[in-house]
This record gives sequence, C-alpha cells and structure tokens, in this order.
Amino acid sequence: MTKYKKMILSLILVIGVIFLGVFGNNISAQTSANNRIPVVFWHEMGGPAEKTLLKLVNDFNKSQTKYQVIPKYQGSYDTAIQKIFQTHGTNTSPAVFQSSNVSTAQVLHSGFTTPIQKFVDADNYDLSKISPVARAFHAQGGKQQAMPFNTSQPVLYYNATLLEKYGITPPSVSPTYSEITKIAKELYEKSNHQVKGMTVQIYGWLLEEAIANNGGMFTNRNDGHTGNPTKVSINNPEAIEFFKWIRENIKNGDFMDYGAGSMASTNQTSGFLTNKVGMYVQSSASMSQLNKKNKNKLGVTYFPHADGKKANGVSIGGAALWISNDKPKEIQQGAYEFIKYTVRPEVQAQWQKSTGYMALNKDSKDTKILQQFYAKHPEGKIPSQQLQNTVPNFGNSGILLEGMQSIRKLEENAMEKIYRGGDIEKTLQQNEDAINEIVYNQNRANGYK
Amino acid sequence: MLKTSTTNVVPEKKVEAKNKTKFRLTANDKYYASIFAGPSLFLLGLFTFYPMFRTLYISMFLTNTFGNTTLFVGLENYVKLVTSPDFVSSMWVTLVYVVGVTFFTIAMGLLLANLASQKLPGIAIFRTLYSVTMGVSVSVAAIFWLFIFNPSAGFFTLLTKLLHLPTVNWLSNPTMAMWAIIITTVWMHLGFVFLVFLGAIESVPTTLYEAADVEGVSKHYQFFHITLPMISPTLFFISTITIIGSFKSFGLIDLITKGGPTNATNMLVYRIYNDAFFGGNYAKSSAEAIILTIIIAFFTYLQFKFLEKKVNY
Amino acid sequence: MSTLITNVCKQYDNNQGKTVLSNVSAEIETGEFFVIVGPSGCGKSTLLRMIAGLTEITDGEIAIDGKVVNNLPPKDRNLTMVFQSYALFPFLSVWDNVAFGLKARKHDQAEVSERVNNALKMVNLEDLKDRKPRELSGGQRQRVALARAVASDAKICLMDEPLSNLDAQLRIKMRQEIYALQRKLGITLIYVTHDQVEAMTMADHIMVLHDSKVQQIGTPTEIYKNPANEFVASFFGVPPINIMYASKVGAHSIKVNNDYQLDLDQAVTENELKVGIRPNEMIVEKAEELQSNATVQNVEFLGDEKIVHAKFNNGVMVSAIVPSDTEFDMFETVKITSTGNVLLFSQDGINITENKGGLVNA
Repeated sequence: MTKYKKMILSLILVIGVIFLGVFGNNISAQTSANNRIPVVFWHEMGGPAEKTLLKLVNDFNKSQTKYQVIPKYQGSYDTAIQKIFQTHGTNTSPAVFQSSNVSTAQVLHSGFTTPIQKFVDADNYDLSKISPVARAFHAQGGKQQAMPFNTSQPVLYYNATLLEKYGITPPSVSPTYSEITKIAKELYEKSNHQVKGMTVQIYGWLLEEAIANNGGMFTNRNDGHTGNPTKVSINNPEAIEFFKWIRENIKNGDFMDYGAGSMASTNQTSGFLTNKVGMYVQSSASMSQLNKKNKNKLGVTYFPHADGKKANGVSIGGAALWISNDKPKEIQQGAYEFIKYTVRPEVQAQWQKSTGYMALNKDSKDTKILQQFYAKHPEGKIPSQQLQNTVPNFGNSGILLEGMQSIRKLEENAMEKIYRGGDIEKTLQQNEDAINEIVYNQNRANGYK
Repeated sequence: MLKTSTTNVVPEKKVEAKNKTKFRLTANDKYYASIFAGPSLFLLGLFTFYPMFRTLYISMFLTNTFGNTTLFVGLENYVKLVTSPDFVSSMWVTLVYVVGVTFFTIAMGLLLANLASQKLPGIAIFRTLYSVTMGVSVSVAAIFWLFIFNPSAGFFTLLTKLLHLPTVNWLSNPTMAMWAIIITTVWMHLGFVFLVFLGAIESVPTTLYEAADVEGVSKHYQFFHITLPMISPTLFFISTITIIGSFKSFGLIDLITKGGPTNATNMLVYRIYNDAFFGGNYAKSSAEAIILTIIIAFFTYLQFKFLEKKVNY
Repeated sequence: MSTLITNVCKQYDNNQGKTVLSNVSAEIETGEFFVIVGPSGCGKSTLLRMIAGLTEITDGEIAIDGKVVNNLPPKDRNLTMVFQSYALFPFLSVWDNVAFGLKARKHDQAEVSERVNNALKMVNLEDLKDRKPRELSGGQRQRVALARAVASDAKICLMDEPLSNLDAQLRIKMRQEIYALQRKLGITLIYVTHDQVEAMTMADHIMVLHDSKVQQIGTPTEIYKNPANEFVASFFGVPPINIMYASKVGAHSIKVNNDYQLDLDQAVTENELKVGIRPNEMIVEKAEELQSNATVQNVEFLGDEKIVHAKFNNGVMVSAIVPSDTEFDMFETVKITSTGNVLLFSQDGINITENKGGLVNA
C-alpha cells in the first residue's frame, strides 16, 4: 500500500513539474499577446525601491496602450553592466536599461546606445525642467546621452535631538569642515564620551565628492568631459584638506571608524540610529530609511566644504536610463516614451517620497505629493535645494572615466590607510600611482589616446 | 582481451616485474579504451583544459572594456603582478590564512575527535554537536559570525564589556579581521574534519593502546606516538584538502570582510574575482589565476614529495 | 612472584548481567608456564585481560606477589603482554617496535639499545631489525612481539593465543621457541589458548575453563590421565576420547554401548554410567558380518598409524588408532572391543575411576 502511495506521489510531482513548465510558458507568452510592443527594461533596484519601481512601470503600462514595459531585476550595478555588454546584439538584451553613473564612460564608449537627444529633438521635449547638474553627467557636447533616473547627492545627516539635548547649535546650511569639527568635539565631550561626534564612511564616492565640492578635478581633461582622461589626481590640495579634517577629528577622539567591510554601512546606520555617533555623511537616498526607523529628529544639511572657500557643489550619484541601439525603431521609441514618463513631475515626486532619491523635475516640488511630504519632513527639502543651487561645471558634473570600480577600491584603500594613521600625502601618492597604472593600461587596451 | 595476460612460469617474485615490461596494448584494447575514456576526456577537455588554456592565453594580452583581448603584451601582466607590492601582500595574506586555517583546523579537529572517541556516557551528543557545522551553508555561517563580530551588539563585544576588557573591533582592525576570517573558516571546516578524524581514530586497533598501557606508556605519549602515526594517511588527506580548499576560499571573505580592512584579508581568489567581475580587468585576473594555480600545484607537489612517503606504512 | 587468583567473577553490565567468569581461583607459581585452555567463549581471554588490568574485575581478588592489584593500572603490575594480533606498530621498524615501551618510559638511551639488541638476538631477528612489520612473515611478526615482551624485563608475561594466526608447521616451531624462551628467561608465563596440543606440550600447569567455570587445574599428565570430568577428558587427546554409555553387568564388569562386555580392575558402583576409552585403547579386528558389531566409515593414514572411524551397529561413532600396516577398507565389517584401561564417569560426567582420581577441582 505504502509502495503505491509513494509511486502516486512521485507521479503527481512529475506531472506537476510538466504542467508548471507548460503554464510558465503560457504566462510569459501572454504578455506579448495583447498587441502591445514589448519593451524589456533591465534595472538594479532591490528592496523597497524595487517595489516603487514596479508600481511606476505598472502605472506607465496602464497610462497607454501601445507599449508594454517588462521590468527585469539584474542584481548589482557592477554585475549588471557586464551582462549588458555581453548580451548586446542578442535577443536577450534589454531595450532600455538602468546603469550606474560610475559606468557612464563605459556605456558611452561602447556605442551600444542611441542618444536620448535624438528622441528629445524629434519630440520637442523641454529638457530644461530636468536638473542641470544631473543632466550634465550624461551629456556630451551639449547632447543628452541618457536620462538621469534615480539620483542622489551626499549630504550630512545629524541627530537633531541629541544636539538639542546637549545645547549644541546645529550646523549651518552649507557647513565648513571646522564647523563640523567643533560640533563633533562638543558632542563628544558634552555626552561624556558616550556619543562619538562624526564618521565618514570609507567609500571612494565621498572622496570624489569632497574633491568636487572644493573645486578640484579628479582627472585631467576636465574630469573626462573634454576627452578621455589619461591621468587621475587624488594627491591634490582638495583631498589633503579633506583628510586633514578627518584626521583632526580622529585625534580629538570624536571620530567613529566603522571600517571598510561589507557591514560598515549597516553598522554606521545603526550607530547613528542608536545614538552612538552624532553626524555622518551619506547619500541623500538614505533619507527615507532614516525617517522610517528614527526615534530622534533627523537633521540634514549640505556636504561640508573647506574653510575660506565657497562650496562648488557636489555631483550626483545613482543611475541613469539608456536606450539600446540593437532594437527596432518602434521599440526604441517605446523606451523613450517610458523614460519620458519617469521624469514627469508627479512621478518624480512620488519617487522621491518613497525612495529618498531626489526628484529631478523642477515642477515636482509644487506637486501635492511633495508639498505634503515637506510639511511633515521639512528636512527633506535640503537635498533638493543643494541639487538646485549647484551651478554645473566640469568639476561637479561627474567623472567620465572607465574602470571606476577598481579605481574606487584603490581610493578606499588610501582612505582606510589614512584613517589608521598612514601619512596622508605618501598614501595618496602611492594609490594615485596605482590608479594611473590602471588608467594607462585600460587606455592602451582600448586604444584610447 | 586475454591476449595481454602472459602466462609466466617464472619464480613467483619476478611475476610482477615481468608483467610490467610485457604489458602492451593491442589495437583491440586501444579501441575499447577510447570508447570508455572518450566521453570523459571530451568533457574534461571542454570544461577543464579549454578554460585553462584560454586563461593562459588571455593572461598574455590586455583586455578592453568588453573583456576582449586587444593587445599582446607577453609576460607583462605577470611581471607587473609580482613586482606590485599590493599583489605580493595579497600572496602573503593568503599564505598566512592558509597556514592558519590548516593548522587550527587540524589541531581543533584532532582535539575534538580525540575527546569524542572516548567511551563515555552521553558522548554521542557531543559527536553530533561537533559535526553539526557540516550542514551549515557559507551564507548562514557568515550571518551568524557577523553577528558575533558586530562591534556594537556582537557577542564578543558583550563578552568583553562584561569582563571590562577593551572592545576589539574585529572587522576594522587588519590583524583581528584576519583572525576573524580564520576562526570562521576553521569553524566551517571543523564538522567534516572532525568526522573524518573520528573515523580514523576509531579504526586504530585497540590492542595497540592496550599493548602500550601494559608497557606503561602515558596517554599523552600514546596520542602522539600511536594515534597520530596511525592516522597519518588521514592527516595527509585532510591537510591536502584543507590547504587547497583554503587557497580557494571565497564565500566567507566576500560575505564577512570583502577583502578589507586595507586589503588585510584580500586573498588571491578574492582578488581574481574582483579584478575580473568587479573591475572588468580580465587580463590581470587571468594572470593572477595562473599564478594561483602554480602556487597550489607547487604546494600539492611538496606535500606529495615530502609527506606521502612518511604516511604510507 | 606468585600470582594468586581468588574467587574472581566477571559480569558485563550491558549484556543483561551475563556471567563470563564465576568463582575462578588458581595459584600460579613464579617461573612456571601456566596455560589457560578452553573452547572459544569460555572466558579465558577475559581472565587474562583481568590479570593484565585491561578489564575490570567484578568480584574476587587478584594478587601478584602478595599485593592485591585489583585497582592498579596495567603499567603498575610489572607485566608484559603478547596479543593475538601481535599489536605491532605498522609505522615503526622492528627495532623501534621493540624499543617503543622502553623509550616511552624514558629509559636511558644506552640501556634501551642494549635491551632491544639482546631481545632481538634472543628471537633471531637481528638481521631484520630495520624492516617494517608489513615486510615480515607471520612467524617473524610473532617473534617481534616476543622480543618486545623480552625487552620489557617484566617478570610476568601474558600471552593471548599468540600462535593462532600461524600455519601448522610454524605453530609447532614457535611453540618450541616460546617454551625455550620461557625456560631461558625464567619468567612466569601465563598463556591463553584454545588448542589443547599447545597446552599439553608447553604447560607446567593447565587450567581448563568451560562454561565460565574452572573444570580442572593440573599438570598435563594429571589432566590427561585423571581428567576431572567428561569435558576435560574429551577436550584433550587427538582424536578425542570415545565416550559411550555402559551398564553394570557384574561387580567388576560392564557392558559397553550395550555391545561388548569389559572386565575391570575396580568395582563398579553404579548401574548406569559412561565410559571413556582413548582411541589407542580400542581394538579393531576384521570380522565376518555375523560376528561383527561395527562398520568402518573412514580410514585416515597418519604415517606410523591409522585412525579408523567406525560406526557401531546401533549408530554410535568411535575412533580407534591401529598400526599402519593393518588394512581396513571403507564399509568393511569389523569387531570392536577395547582394553580394560578405561575411564569411568557418572551419568552427569564426573570421573568415578578408582585409585586414579586425586585432583578433583570442579
């Protein structure tokens, strides 16, 4: 009897698997069966942002009847870009894809995309509504190549409740290094060494931003905006000043070092939320997360800059949307329609509210969604202000250089060594040399002059 | 098929040698041999030898953004690697890790196996406990240990606080991070190594210990002079697979330290992965892969040359 | 250095309290060759291990040289042991195997060398001292085990079936060597075997164990001539003694196997009894079918003599030793009788032969 039971069970299992295969096919076949033009969209948004993105796609699909955008999650930015390059020209490749700003130069050089400017011109679309600093990263010779999508800037977060408790004046709108040092020290001393004043994560992006915000250049040829860079400079006055600031805080004892491991970012966030550290620099995209779990009042202000200087403004982080040129015209057009949809004022407003990425459309701030949000979280305005107040120039419009993933590793290597007491200029020079070695080799391998 | 077996009417001792020299494959044998070996040779060629030679080929070029070989540079990639302090430090780090992991895995495995081989009531519970890590996946182990090493809420931190000792920041201090990775790897390996050692220790004939007992040999001396030599083939096996295995360690490093802090745990395999799939530099990582292969081959050769003779009694 | 075993018992807890040994007592004198013999499972190895200290004593007492050793670990009993499997260390050379215990006990280097070399000389293994055990024959391995016992200098040596892994030829040779060695060294040798020939040929005294009880302790002659009971009688001698039923037919005569009458020197005290007749006391004669009382089943040629296995007409099997020049064929009818040199047993197997009993220990 039990023998038969086992046989029947396994039979059911096998039949089930076959059915699943058949039905699975049907399900995927259905999407293209309703006479819409399919537009495959590869993205790298995980977690809560993915939910918001899927709703966005769904809303787009409902808003019209011509195109069907099919979103597909591709994992991390760095693995996704490799997949995009490897599948280009095959029928698995996407029609529109999200690519990290770090890979901008690579995508530009690949020649795998159709510049969005072509569609904008044909459509007479008004790009001026979109944040100029964000656009500048993805423009070449005044022509828009990709559309910035999820965009963030680094900001300084502080624990407003703690500062209030110890009677410390919160930082000004665009604080200087010495201002932050003073507050960090005060917080550390007044809390009887229970709260560390500040931390800066070992993260190459933050070093790049510090250079940009103080008017420096990361590479020659204007950060790659006027030709492919051949030289990188991290041993420059802007970087040295940045590290001197951090070292002063380390010396004061008010600096918390969370290391460079995979948990550094998580530990940093939990340290901030549990009153172990009072201030830290991080992407503005963290804000929605910080608002959700925070028992304290969240303070936000601009990325700090060196004393006696005016802040040059920081460039954007995040990713942009690109249109592949290996798909037929009507599919590419569909991709453009989708991209156009994503930067609508109310879509961007909802995007900022749910994810923390900044709304790129100037009209977004007037929407009901953001008006209500700002009423509840006035500090939520700060990153958008920082973005809007930045006048784009070559220094704050992002770095157009390939191999940024490996280069950032070396930047982080330098940061970590300096945090642990390494000589600032010597360490920067060593890692600058190593970075230039990479740049030299990749230019040689790619035949760039 | 019987053609190959020669009938010998020579004295018994010489039979073996005689057969060796007279062993020749007939055409028929070769036909059958190729039928049997063919499929596996084909698969081996496709999935092992081709990638190996392809790696060697790529390592002598520069590769562009899309991973294509563009410029032949001969041994330049190798020369740059072995002269780069960064890569050399990676080799040292790997060596420290491999030696540390192998030593502690074997020492702990032996200790636990020796304890668990005692005939005591309730020992079965400990046997199960000690071998339980065998069923734990790398990701689960990483989460578990990350919690233990957490600088604000981790188990070690609470422990040091309780004992009023200075807090150790496990994952941001280069030395401690190496220890953290070694401890975690050893913990992962321990279940399997423990079981193998336990099996080996249990199979040592009890009369050897009884003979030693009667002769008045201490338990301590018995362990080092009877147990260890008797299980030396197992020791050799475990040390070989532990050395090779820890050279190839990847998951724990990726999940716990990501090679940091300041490259203190950036092992060769992790570097290869990062250079290829993170940095997109396939040429460099191919050269690194070839160097790693040579190092592992060298270690394995050394082991077989110096240890194998000693363990085959 | 006599060894005294008093009322020793052994029960295993895990085996429903199965009794392995009950009330075993013996005195083993210094310098004697003492053999413990019995069929497998009789507890003889357990007894040896208890003397060695490898197995715990449930009840009773073992004393060596006047000192109770029940709670002493093996190393403090000043004895040495040779195992059935020889317990050689496969990874050590012959020399190192012999030196193992001495080195472990941190003896002086020169002393170790001297003792090991002497021991190897004594067992004729000097030439093979650098070989590994796997490069030795069974007999040579056995000698390494002996050399180890010799080198240890202990006054008591225990051997647990040391010859059972050897072939017949070698067994005879090693038997002689062990015996010679024991005599030469003057040690007390306690030797466990299931082979009655080994016991008979080597022992000064034999302890016969059966059913976890001591059946008899005595010299080989006593054991053979005056077995305490039917078991001891049939355990010793090749081919084994013929045990048959007999009934009293006169004051001094019995009828064996309800077949032939036998007159005895002694008075017959019981009506129904058993008679034990060694094969060499049996008489086999050719006979016509009508006069015969048995049929030949098998004949074994041994050189000087032959063993005739025959079946009485009532089905009882007997063995008889006859001179090798006599001819018997299979299925030949014969008449079988015996001499009067027989052993008498009561119906429950106790020896009741007159004038010969003396040592009855059971």
